[in-house]
Amino acid sequence: MTQVVSREQRCGLLADAEPDELRALADECLADGGDVRVLVGPEVGFVTAQIREPVAAERFLLGDVLTCRAEVELDGHRGWAMRLGDDRAAVLAAAVLDAEAEAGRPHAEAVHRLCAHVAGRRADRDDAEWAELAPTVVEFEELT
Amino acid sequence: MGYSGARGGLEAILAAEDLVRRARDHAAAPWAPTEQITARFRLAVDRVMGEAGLHHEDTSAAALRQAEGDPLEASHLVRAHRSRLPRLAVSEPVDPDEMVVLRRIVPAFREPDGPQLLGRTTDYTGRLLEQPSGPPAPAPKPDTEVRERTEEQRRPGRFLDLLRKLDLVVDHRRVDDPEPVDITRTPARPPAERSAALASMARAETGALVALWYRSILGPDGDIHEVTLGEVRHGRLPLRVRHPHTGNPVCVGRFRVTEAEAIEDLDGADEDRSRFDVGYGLCFGHNERKAIAMANLDVANRRFGRTGPLEQLLLLTTDGLDSGGFLEHLKLPHYVTFRSMVERKQAMRAAAEAAEGPRVAEPAGQECR
Repeated sequence: MTQVVSREQRCGLLADAEPDELRALADECLADGGDVRVLVGPEVGFVTAQIREPVAAERFLLGDVLTCRAEVELDGHRGWAMRLGDDRAAVLAAAVLDAEAEAGRPHAEAVHRLCAHVAGRRADRDDAEWAELAPTVVEFEELT
Repeated sequence: MGYSGARGGLEAILAAEDLVRRARDHAAAPWAPTEQITARFRLAVDRVMGEAGLHHEDTSAAALRQAEGDPLEASHLVRAHRSRLPRLAVSEPVDPDEMVVLRRIVPAFREPDGPQLLGRTTDYTGRLLEQPSGPPAPAPKPDTEVRERTEEQRRPGRFLDLLRKLDLVVDHRRVDDPEPVDITRTPARPPAERSAALASMARAETGALVALWYRSILGPDGDIHEVTLGEVRHGRLPLRVRHPHTGNPVCVGRFRVTEAEAIEDLDGADEDRSRFDVGYGLCFGHNERKAIAMANLDVANRRFGRTGPLEQLLLLTTDGLDSGGFLEHLKLPHYVTFRSMVERKQAMRAAAEAAEGPRVAEPAGQECR
Protein backbone atom coordinates (compact mmCIF):
# COMPACT_ATOMS: atom_id res chain seq x y z
CA MET A 1 0.00 0.00 0.00
CA THR A 2 1.44 3.34 -1.04
CA GLN A 3 1.47 6.17 1.44
CA VAL A 4 -1.70 8.22 0.99
CA VAL A 5 -1.09 11.92 0.52
CA SER A 6 -3.53 14.77 1.05
CA ARG A 7 -5.64 15.93 -1.84
CA GLU A 8 -3.59 19.10 -2.20
CA GLN A 9 -0.33 17.14 -2.18
CA ARG A 10 -1.76 14.77 -4.77
CA CYS A 11 -2.76 17.68 -7.03
CA GLY A 12 0.70 19.17 -6.63
CA LEU A 13 2.41 15.92 -7.55
CA LEU A 14 0.12 15.27 -10.51
CA ALA A 15 0.93 18.82 -11.67
CA ASP A 16 4.57 17.75 -11.77
CA ALA A 17 4.03 14.42 -13.56
CA GLU A 18 5.10 13.87 -17.14
CA PRO A 19 2.29 14.19 -19.72
CA ASP A 20 2.84 10.65 -21.01
CA GLU A 21 2.51 9.19 -17.51
CA LEU A 22 -0.75 11.03 -16.95
CA ARG A 23 -2.27 10.11 -20.29
CA ALA A 24 -1.39 6.43 -20.04
CA LEU A 25 -2.87 6.05 -16.56
CA ALA A 26 -5.95 8.12 -17.40
CA ASP A 27 -6.61 5.84 -20.36
CA GLU A 28 -6.49 2.85 -18.02
CA CYS A 29 -8.83 4.56 -15.58
CA LEU A 30 -11.40 5.24 -18.27
CA ALA A 31 -11.12 1.84 -19.95
CA ASP A 32 -13.80 0.34 -17.70
CA GLY A 33 -16.40 2.66 -19.21
CA GLY A 34 -16.98 4.66 -16.02
CA ASP A 35 -19.41 7.56 -16.23
CA VAL A 36 -17.18 10.55 -17.00
CA ARG A 37 -18.20 14.15 -17.67
CA VAL A 38 -15.98 17.13 -18.39
CA LEU A 39 -17.16 19.93 -16.10
CA VAL A 40 -14.52 22.48 -17.08
CA GLY A 41 -12.85 21.82 -20.39
CA PRO A 42 -9.07 21.95 -20.37
CA GLU A 43 -8.41 25.67 -20.58
CA VAL A 44 -5.14 27.54 -21.05
CA GLY A 45 -4.83 30.80 -19.16
CA PHE A 46 -2.61 32.29 -16.53
CA VAL A 47 -2.25 32.61 -12.79
CA THR A 48 -1.09 36.01 -11.63
CA ALA A 49 1.88 35.62 -9.30
CA GLN A 50 1.32 37.69 -6.19
CA ILE A 51 4.43 38.34 -4.11
CA ARG A 52 4.72 39.49 -0.53
CA GLU A 53 8.02 41.32 -0.69
CA PRO A 54 10.23 41.23 2.41
CA VAL A 55 11.12 44.92 2.90
CA ALA A 56 7.69 46.31 3.79
CA ALA A 57 5.66 43.06 3.71
CA GLU A 58 3.64 44.58 0.88
CA ARG A 59 1.99 42.50 -1.80
CA PHE A 60 2.57 43.25 -5.48
CA LEU A 61 1.73 41.47 -8.72
CA LEU A 62 4.92 40.22 -10.32
CA GLY A 63 3.37 38.98 -13.55
CA ASP A 64 1.48 36.04 -14.95
CA VAL A 65 2.41 32.38 -15.16
CA LEU A 66 1.00 30.34 -18.03
CA THR A 67 -1.18 27.56 -16.64
CA CYS A 68 -3.96 25.24 -17.71
CA ARG A 69 -6.74 23.62 -15.72
CA ALA A 70 -9.55 21.12 -16.10
CA GLU A 71 -12.29 19.59 -14.00
CA VAL A 72 -14.13 16.32 -14.54
CA GLU A 73 -16.70 14.16 -12.80
CA LEU A 74 -16.08 10.43 -12.70
CA ASP A 75 -18.72 8.14 -11.21
CA GLY A 76 -20.11 11.10 -9.28
CA HIS A 77 -16.75 12.31 -7.91
CA ARG A 78 -15.18 15.53 -9.06
CA GLY A 79 -11.55 15.71 -10.03
CA TRP A 80 -9.63 18.95 -10.55
CA ALA A 81 -6.19 19.69 -11.93
CA MET A 82 -4.02 22.67 -12.76
CA ARG A 83 -0.47 22.64 -14.07
CA LEU A 84 2.01 25.08 -15.57
CA GLY A 85 2.21 25.34 -19.33
CA ASP A 86 -0.35 24.73 -22.02
CA ASP A 87 -0.69 20.94 -22.27
CA ARG A 88 -4.46 20.51 -22.32
CA ALA A 89 -4.39 16.73 -22.66
CA ALA A 90 -2.08 16.38 -19.67
CA VAL A 91 -4.21 18.56 -17.40
CA LEU A 92 -7.38 16.75 -18.43
CA ALA A 93 -5.72 13.42 -17.68
CA ALA A 94 -4.57 14.73 -14.28
CA ALA A 95 -8.15 15.74 -13.46
CA VAL A 96 -9.30 12.20 -14.34
CA LEU A 97 -6.64 10.75 -12.02
CA ASP A 98 -7.67 13.10 -9.22
CA ALA A 99 -11.27 11.91 -9.58
CA GLU A 100 -10.15 8.27 -9.77
CA ALA A 101 -8.31 8.63 -6.47
CA GLU A 102 -11.09 10.67 -4.90
CA ALA A 103 -13.66 8.02 -5.85
CA GLY A 104 -11.48 5.16 -4.62
CA ARG A 105 -11.98 3.48 -7.97
CA PRO A 106 -9.94 0.49 -9.15
CA HIS A 107 -6.90 2.50 -10.24
CA ALA A 108 -6.73 4.74 -7.17
CA GLU A 109 -3.75 2.80 -5.88
CA ALA A 110 -1.99 3.29 -9.22
CA VAL A 111 -2.58 7.06 -8.88
CA HIS A 112 -0.98 6.98 -5.45
CA ARG A 113 1.96 5.03 -6.87
CA LEU A 114 2.38 7.60 -9.63
CA CYS A 115 2.39 10.38 -7.03
CA ALA A 116 5.06 8.54 -5.04
CA HIS A 117 7.06 8.07 -8.22
CA VAL A 118 6.85 11.79 -9.03
CA ALA A 119 7.92 12.68 -5.48
CA GLY A 120 10.89 10.33 -5.78
CA ARG A 121 11.89 11.77 -9.13
CA ARG A 122 11.68 15.29 -7.71
CA ALA A 123 14.02 14.26 -4.88
CA ASP A 124 16.42 12.68 -7.39
CA ARG A 125 16.44 15.88 -9.44
CA ASP A 126 17.13 17.92 -6.31
CA ASP A 127 20.05 15.60 -5.56
CA ALA A 128 21.42 15.91 -9.09
CA GLU A 129 20.96 19.68 -9.08
CA TRP A 130 22.82 20.11 -5.80
CA ALA A 131 25.59 17.80 -7.02
CA GLU A 132 26.18 20.27 -9.86
CA LEU A 133 25.76 23.40 -7.76
CA ALA A 134 27.72 22.45 -4.65
CA PRO A 135 31.19 22.83 -6.29
CA THR A 136 30.34 26.49 -6.99
CA VAL A 137 30.05 27.40 -3.31
CA VAL A 138 32.77 29.97 -2.74
CA GLU A 139 34.54 31.62 0.15
CA PHE A 140 36.38 34.66 -1.16
CA GLU A 141 39.30 35.83 0.90
CA GLU A 142 39.51 39.38 2.15
CA LEU A 143 42.63 41.33 1.24
CA THR A 144 43.84 43.02 4.38
CA MET B 1 -3.50 49.10 -42.58
CA GLY B 2 -5.43 50.73 -39.76
CA TYR B 3 -3.41 53.91 -39.30
CA SER B 4 -5.60 56.95 -39.81
CA GLY B 5 -4.55 59.43 -42.45
CA ALA B 6 -3.45 56.82 -44.98
CA ARG B 7 -4.86 53.60 -46.32
CA GLY B 8 -4.21 50.98 -48.96
CA GLY B 9 -0.91 49.34 -49.68
CA LEU B 10 -2.21 45.91 -48.73
CA GLU B 11 -0.44 44.03 -51.51
CA ALA B 12 2.93 45.58 -50.71
CA ILE B 13 2.43 44.94 -46.99
CA LEU B 14 1.65 41.28 -47.62
CA ALA B 15 4.65 41.00 -49.93
CA ALA B 16 6.91 42.55 -47.27
CA GLU B 17 5.53 40.17 -44.66
CA ASP B 18 6.12 37.26 -47.01
CA LEU B 19 9.72 38.40 -47.47
CA VAL B 20 10.22 38.16 -43.71
CA ARG B 21 8.57 34.75 -43.49
CA ARG B 22 10.54 33.26 -46.38
CA ALA B 23 13.89 34.59 -45.19
CA ARG B 24 13.22 33.57 -41.61
CA ASP B 25 11.42 30.24 -41.96
CA HIS B 26 13.14 28.97 -45.08
CA ALA B 27 16.68 30.19 -44.52
CA ALA B 28 19.40 27.86 -45.71
CA ALA B 29 20.05 26.71 -42.16
CA PRO B 30 18.55 24.04 -39.90
CA TRP B 31 15.25 24.97 -38.26
CA ALA B 32 15.66 26.25 -34.71
CA PRO B 33 13.20 24.25 -32.61
CA THR B 34 11.79 25.75 -29.44
CA GLU B 35 13.90 23.57 -27.16
CA GLN B 36 17.01 24.70 -29.05
CA ILE B 37 16.17 28.32 -28.26
CA THR B 38 15.30 27.72 -24.59
CA ALA B 39 18.46 25.66 -24.06
CA ARG B 40 20.99 27.85 -25.84
CA PHE B 41 19.51 31.34 -25.52
CA ARG B 42 18.03 31.07 -22.05
CA LEU B 43 18.91 34.61 -20.97
CA ALA B 44 17.17 36.08 -24.01
CA VAL B 45 14.18 33.82 -23.33
CA ASP B 46 14.12 34.89 -19.68
CA ARG B 47 14.36 38.55 -20.62
CA VAL B 48 11.32 38.22 -22.85
CA MET B 49 9.40 36.42 -20.10
CA GLY B 50 10.08 39.33 -17.76
CA GLU B 51 9.39 42.15 -20.16
CA ALA B 52 6.26 40.50 -21.50
CA GLY B 53 5.06 39.66 -18.00
CA LEU B 54 4.25 36.04 -18.84
CA HIS B 55 6.29 33.18 -17.43
CA HIS B 56 6.51 30.38 -19.97
CA GLU B 57 9.80 29.55 -21.60
CA ASP B 58 8.38 27.90 -24.71
CA THR B 59 6.10 30.83 -25.48
CA SER B 60 8.99 33.27 -25.15
CA ALA B 61 11.21 31.07 -27.31
CA ALA B 62 8.57 30.87 -30.04
CA ALA B 63 8.18 34.64 -29.90
CA LEU B 64 11.94 35.18 -30.17
CA ARG B 65 12.06 32.95 -33.24
CA GLN B 66 9.15 34.76 -34.84
CA ALA B 67 10.68 38.15 -33.96
CA GLU B 68 14.00 37.15 -35.55
CA GLY B 69 15.74 37.54 -32.19
CA ASP B 70 14.41 41.01 -31.34
CA PRO B 71 13.54 40.87 -27.60
CA LEU B 72 11.22 43.87 -27.66
CA GLU B 73 9.26 42.57 -30.64
CA ALA B 74 9.12 39.17 -28.95
CA SER B 75 7.75 40.75 -25.77
CA HIS B 76 5.14 42.51 -27.88
CA LEU B 77 4.08 39.20 -29.39
CA VAL B 78 3.86 37.55 -25.97
CA ARG B 79 1.88 40.40 -24.45
CA ALA B 80 -0.55 40.25 -27.36
CA HIS B 81 -0.83 36.50 -26.84
CA ARG B 82 -1.40 36.93 -23.12
CA SER B 83 -4.10 39.52 -23.69
CA ARG B 84 -6.38 36.89 -25.17
CA LEU B 85 -5.91 34.41 -22.32
CA PRO B 86 -8.19 34.25 -19.28
CA ARG B 87 -6.91 34.88 -15.79
CA LEU B 88 -7.58 31.59 -14.03
CA ALA B 89 -6.56 32.80 -10.57
CA VAL B 90 -4.41 35.13 -8.55
CA SER B 91 -1.89 33.09 -6.60
CA GLU B 92 -1.68 32.94 -2.86
CA PRO B 93 0.91 35.50 -1.71
CA VAL B 94 4.32 34.03 -2.44
CA ASP B 95 6.94 34.35 0.29
CA PRO B 96 10.31 34.87 -1.45
CA ASP B 97 11.99 33.22 1.54
CA GLU B 98 10.72 29.94 0.06
CA MET B 99 13.03 30.32 -2.93
CA VAL B 100 15.18 27.28 -3.73
CA VAL B 101 18.36 28.97 -4.87
CA LEU B 102 20.28 28.11 -8.01
CA ARG B 103 22.63 31.02 -7.40
CA ARG B 104 23.04 33.33 -4.46
CA ILE B 105 25.70 35.90 -3.74
CA VAL B 106 25.96 38.43 -0.94
CA PRO B 107 28.46 41.07 -2.12
CA ALA B 108 28.08 43.09 1.09
CA PHE B 109 29.13 40.43 3.55
CA ARG B 110 31.64 37.59 3.40
CA GLU B 111 29.89 35.11 5.68
CA PRO B 112 26.13 35.49 5.48
CA ASP B 113 23.65 32.89 6.68
CA GLY B 114 23.89 30.16 4.07
CA PRO B 115 26.36 29.79 1.24
CA GLN B 116 27.82 32.17 -1.30
CA LEU B 117 26.69 30.06 -4.24
CA LEU B 118 28.05 31.18 -7.61
CA GLY B 119 25.85 28.80 -9.59
CA ARG B 120 25.78 29.24 -13.36
CA THR B 121 27.69 32.41 -14.12
CA THR B 122 30.51 33.91 -16.13
CA ASP B 123 30.82 36.92 -13.82
CA TYR B 124 34.42 36.06 -13.01
CA THR B 125 35.47 34.94 -16.48
CA GLY B 126 37.48 36.91 -19.03
CA ARG B 127 35.50 37.94 -22.09
CA LEU B 128 37.15 36.04 -24.89
CA LEU B 129 35.10 35.38 -27.98
CA GLU B 130 34.82 31.73 -28.90
CA GLN B 131 34.21 30.94 -32.55
CA PRO B 132 34.03 27.17 -32.78
CA SER B 133 33.75 25.65 -36.22
CA GLY B 134 31.31 23.03 -35.01
CA PRO B 135 29.63 21.61 -31.95
CA PRO B 136 31.92 20.87 -29.01
CA ALA B 137 33.00 17.39 -28.06
CA PRO B 138 30.54 15.53 -25.82
CA ALA B 139 30.55 16.97 -22.32
CA PRO B 140 32.10 14.89 -19.54
CA LYS B 141 29.55 13.13 -17.38
CA PRO B 142 28.33 15.54 -14.69
CA ASP B 143 29.17 14.86 -11.10
CA THR B 144 26.17 12.96 -9.76
CA GLU B 145 27.58 12.06 -6.37
CA VAL B 146 24.85 12.76 -3.83
CA ARG B 147 26.09 15.50 -1.53
CA GLU B 148 24.65 16.21 1.85
CA ARG B 149 22.84 19.48 1.95
CA THR B 150 21.02 21.48 4.55
CA GLU B 151 17.84 23.48 4.31
CA GLU B 152 19.97 26.60 4.78
CA GLN B 153 22.03 25.77 1.70
CA ARG B 154 18.98 25.55 -0.55
CA ARG B 155 16.90 28.22 1.20
CA PRO B 156 19.45 30.52 2.82
CA GLY B 157 18.50 33.20 5.31
CA ARG B 158 17.96 36.64 3.93
CA PHE B 159 20.69 39.26 4.35
CA LEU B 160 18.00 41.79 5.22
CA ASP B 161 17.06 39.64 8.22
CA LEU B 162 20.66 39.72 9.40
CA LEU B 163 20.62 43.53 9.21
CA ARG B 164 17.36 43.50 11.14
CA LYS B 165 18.90 41.35 13.86
CA LEU B 166 21.67 43.92 14.15
CA ASP B 167 19.06 46.72 14.21
CA LEU B 168 20.80 48.33 11.27
CA VAL B 169 17.90 48.80 8.91
CA VAL B 170 14.94 51.18 8.83
CA ASP B 171 11.76 49.22 9.45
CA HIS B 172 9.20 49.81 6.71
CA ARG B 173 7.00 46.81 7.52
CA ARG B 174 3.35 47.71 7.27
CA VAL B 175 0.65 46.52 9.61
CA ASP B 176 -2.11 47.04 7.06
CA ASP B 177 -2.27 44.90 3.96
CA PRO B 178 -3.36 46.99 0.97
CA GLU B 179 -4.56 45.27 -2.17
CA PRO B 180 -1.83 45.34 -4.81
CA VAL B 181 -2.40 47.48 -7.88
CA ASP B 182 -2.98 45.53 -11.08
CA ILE B 183 -1.12 47.56 -13.69
CA THR B 184 -2.44 45.33 -16.48
CA ARG B 185 -5.92 46.70 -15.75
CA THR B 186 -5.09 50.19 -14.47
CA PRO B 187 -1.97 51.86 -15.87
CA ALA B 188 0.36 53.12 -13.16
CA ARG B 189 0.47 56.90 -13.00
CA PRO B 190 2.20 59.12 -10.44
CA PRO B 191 1.63 59.36 -7.57
CA ALA B 192 1.47 55.59 -7.44
CA GLU B 193 1.35 52.96 -4.75
CA ARG B 194 4.62 51.11 -4.25
CA SER B 195 2.97 47.90 -5.47
CA ALA B 196 2.34 49.63 -8.80
CA ALA B 197 5.95 50.79 -9.04
CA LEU B 198 7.28 47.32 -8.25
CA ALA B 199 4.95 45.70 -10.79
CA SER B 200 5.94 48.29 -13.42
CA MET B 201 9.63 47.68 -12.85
CA ALA B 202 9.16 43.90 -12.90
CA ARG B 203 8.03 44.07 -16.51
CA ALA B 204 10.01 47.12 -17.58
CA GLU B 205 12.45 46.96 -20.46
CA THR B 206 15.79 45.89 -19.01
CA GLY B 207 17.89 48.50 -20.78
CA ALA B 208 15.50 51.28 -19.84
CA LEU B 209 15.61 50.28 -16.18
CA VAL B 210 19.40 50.05 -16.14
CA ALA B 211 19.68 53.43 -17.89
CA LEU B 212 17.29 55.03 -15.43
CA TRP B 213 19.22 53.58 -12.49
CA TYR B 214 22.49 54.86 -13.96
CA ARG B 215 20.98 58.27 -14.49
CA SER B 216 19.72 58.26 -10.90
CA ILE B 217 23.23 57.81 -9.51
CA LEU B 218 25.29 59.77 -12.06
CA GLY B 219 22.86 61.99 -13.82
CA PRO B 220 21.52 65.51 -13.53
CA ASP B 221 18.97 64.94 -10.79
CA GLY B 222 21.41 65.39 -7.92
CA ASP B 223 20.27 62.34 -5.96
CA ILE B 224 23.13 61.10 -3.83
CA HIS B 225 23.41 57.33 -3.47
CA GLU B 226 25.92 55.19 -1.65
CA VAL B 227 25.08 51.98 -3.46
CA THR B 228 25.84 48.55 -1.99
CA LEU B 229 24.31 45.36 -3.22
CA GLY B 230 22.99 43.27 -0.36
CA GLU B 231 22.05 40.10 -2.13
CA VAL B 232 21.34 38.62 -5.56
CA ARG B 233 19.53 35.32 -6.04
CA HIS B 234 18.28 33.22 -8.89
CA GLY B 235 15.97 30.38 -7.99
CA ARG B 236 12.55 28.81 -8.03
CA LEU B 237 9.43 29.89 -6.16
CA PRO B 238 6.26 27.85 -5.64
CA LEU B 239 3.02 28.97 -7.28
CA ARG B 240 0.04 28.16 -5.07
CA VAL B 241 -3.66 28.65 -5.73
CA ARG B 242 -6.71 27.79 -3.66
CA HIS B 243 -8.04 24.34 -4.43
CA PRO B 244 -11.60 24.92 -5.63
CA HIS B 245 -12.98 21.94 -3.71
CA THR B 246 -11.13 22.11 -0.41
CA GLY B 247 -10.22 25.79 -0.21
CA ASN B 248 -6.68 24.90 0.80
CA PRO B 249 -3.56 26.09 -1.02
CA VAL B 250 -2.15 23.74 -3.61
CA CYS B 251 1.21 24.14 -5.34
CA VAL B 252 0.65 23.84 -9.09
CA GLY B 253 4.28 24.37 -10.08
CA ARG B 254 7.40 26.42 -9.65
CA PHE B 255 8.61 29.47 -11.55
CA ARG B 256 12.08 30.96 -11.82
CA VAL B 257 12.89 34.47 -10.67
CA THR B 258 15.84 36.73 -9.97
CA GLU B 259 15.81 38.67 -6.72
CA ALA B 260 17.99 41.51 -5.45
CA GLU B 261 18.29 43.59 -2.30
CA ALA B 262 20.01 46.96 -2.50
CA ILE B 263 21.34 48.68 0.58
CA GLU B 264 21.34 52.44 0.77
CA ASP B 265 23.34 54.48 3.24
CA LEU B 266 20.92 57.09 4.55
CA ASP B 267 22.40 60.57 4.83
CA GLY B 268 19.52 62.98 4.44
CA ALA B 269 18.74 65.58 7.08
CA ASP B 270 15.38 63.99 7.84
CA GLU B 271 16.61 60.41 7.58
CA ASP B 272 17.80 57.96 10.23
CA ARG B 273 21.55 58.14 9.58
CA SER B 274 22.25 55.38 12.08
CA ARG B 275 20.55 52.82 9.85
CA PHE B 276 20.44 51.63 6.27
CA ASP B 277 17.48 51.49 3.93
CA VAL B 278 16.82 48.52 1.66
CA GLY B 279 15.25 48.34 -1.80
CA TYR B 280 13.77 45.26 -3.39
CA GLY B 281 13.90 43.83 -6.90
CA LEU B 282 12.26 40.72 -8.33
CA CYS B 283 11.63 39.71 -11.92
CA PHE B 284 10.82 36.60 -13.94
CA GLY B 285 13.64 34.37 -15.14
CA HIS B 286 17.34 34.97 -14.78
CA ASN B 287 17.97 38.66 -15.33
CA GLU B 288 20.33 40.04 -12.72
CA ARG B 289 20.85 43.45 -14.30
CA LYS B 290 17.15 44.08 -14.16
CA ALA B 291 16.60 42.86 -10.58
CA ILE B 292 19.58 44.91 -9.32
CA ALA B 293 18.44 48.06 -11.11
CA MET B 294 14.93 47.51 -9.76
CA ALA B 295 16.12 47.11 -6.17
CA ASN B 296 18.19 50.29 -6.37
CA LEU B 297 15.37 52.22 -8.01
CA ASP B 298 12.91 50.98 -5.38
CA VAL B 299 14.86 52.62 -2.61
CA ALA B 300 15.72 55.67 -4.73
CA ASN B 301 12.05 56.11 -5.51
CA ARG B 302 11.20 55.98 -1.82
CA ARG B 303 13.80 58.66 -1.07
CA PHE B 304 13.65 60.94 -4.10
CA GLY B 305 10.71 59.78 -6.23
CA ARG B 306 8.49 62.75 -5.59
CA THR B 307 11.04 65.47 -4.99
CA GLY B 308 12.33 65.11 -8.54
CA PRO B 309 11.38 63.45 -11.79
CA LEU B 310 12.28 59.89 -10.76
CA GLU B 311 8.80 58.50 -10.13
CA GLN B 312 7.48 59.94 -13.38
CA LEU B 313 10.43 58.60 -15.33
CA LEU B 314 10.11 55.22 -13.70
CA LEU B 315 6.39 54.81 -14.30
CA LEU B 316 6.08 56.52 -17.66
CA THR B 317 9.25 55.75 -19.59
CA THR B 318 10.54 52.28 -18.73
CA ASP B 319 7.91 50.10 -20.37
CA GLY B 320 9.44 48.81 -23.57
CA LEU B 321 6.17 48.49 -25.40
CA ASP B 322 5.18 52.04 -24.51
CA SER B 323 8.44 53.67 -25.56
CA GLY B 324 9.30 51.29 -28.39
CA GLY B 325 5.75 51.34 -29.69
CA PHE B 326 5.69 55.11 -29.84
CA LEU B 327 9.05 55.17 -31.57
CA GLU B 328 8.03 52.50 -34.07
CA HIS B 329 4.83 54.30 -34.96
CA LEU B 330 6.94 57.14 -36.37
CA LYS B 331 7.67 54.85 -39.33
CA LEU B 332 4.00 54.76 -40.32
CA PRO B 333 2.91 57.24 -43.01
CA HIS B 334 2.60 60.72 -41.55
CA TYR B 335 1.91 62.36 -44.93
CA VAL B 336 -1.13 64.28 -43.71
CA THR B 337 0.34 65.58 -40.48
CA PHE B 338 3.58 66.61 -42.14
CA ARG B 339 1.76 68.22 -45.08
CA SER B 340 -0.29 70.30 -42.63
CA MET B 341 2.95 71.44 -40.99
CA VAL B 342 4.41 72.39 -44.38
CA GLU B 343 1.24 74.27 -45.27
CA ARG B 344 1.31 76.17 -41.98
CA LYS B 345 4.83 77.32 -42.65
CA GLN B 346 3.98 78.30 -46.23
CA ALA B 347 0.95 80.22 -45.01
CA MET B 348 3.04 82.09 -42.45
CA ARG B 349 5.59 82.97 -45.10
CA ALA B 350 2.88 84.12 -47.55
CA ALA B 351 1.29 86.26 -44.87
CA ALA B 352 4.63 87.84 -44.06
CA GLU B 353 5.38 88.56 -47.71
CA ALA B 354 1.90 90.05 -48.25
CA ALA B 355 2.26 92.43 -45.37
CA GLU B 356 3.54 95.88 -46.16
CA GLY B 357 6.90 96.57 -44.67
CA PRO B 358 8.48 94.94 -41.70
CA ARG B 359 6.26 93.53 -39.00
CA VAL B 360 5.53 95.89 -36.14
CA ALA B 361 5.01 94.36 -32.75
CA GLU B 362 1.53 94.60 -31.26
CA PRO B 363 1.14 97.09 -28.42
CA ALA B 364 1.68 95.56 -25.00
CA GLY B 365 -1.41 93.74 -23.70
CA GLN B 366 -2.92 93.09 -27.14
CA GLU B 367 -3.10 89.68 -28.75
CA CYS B 368 -0.99 89.04 -31.84
CA ARG B 369 -2.88 89.18 -35.12
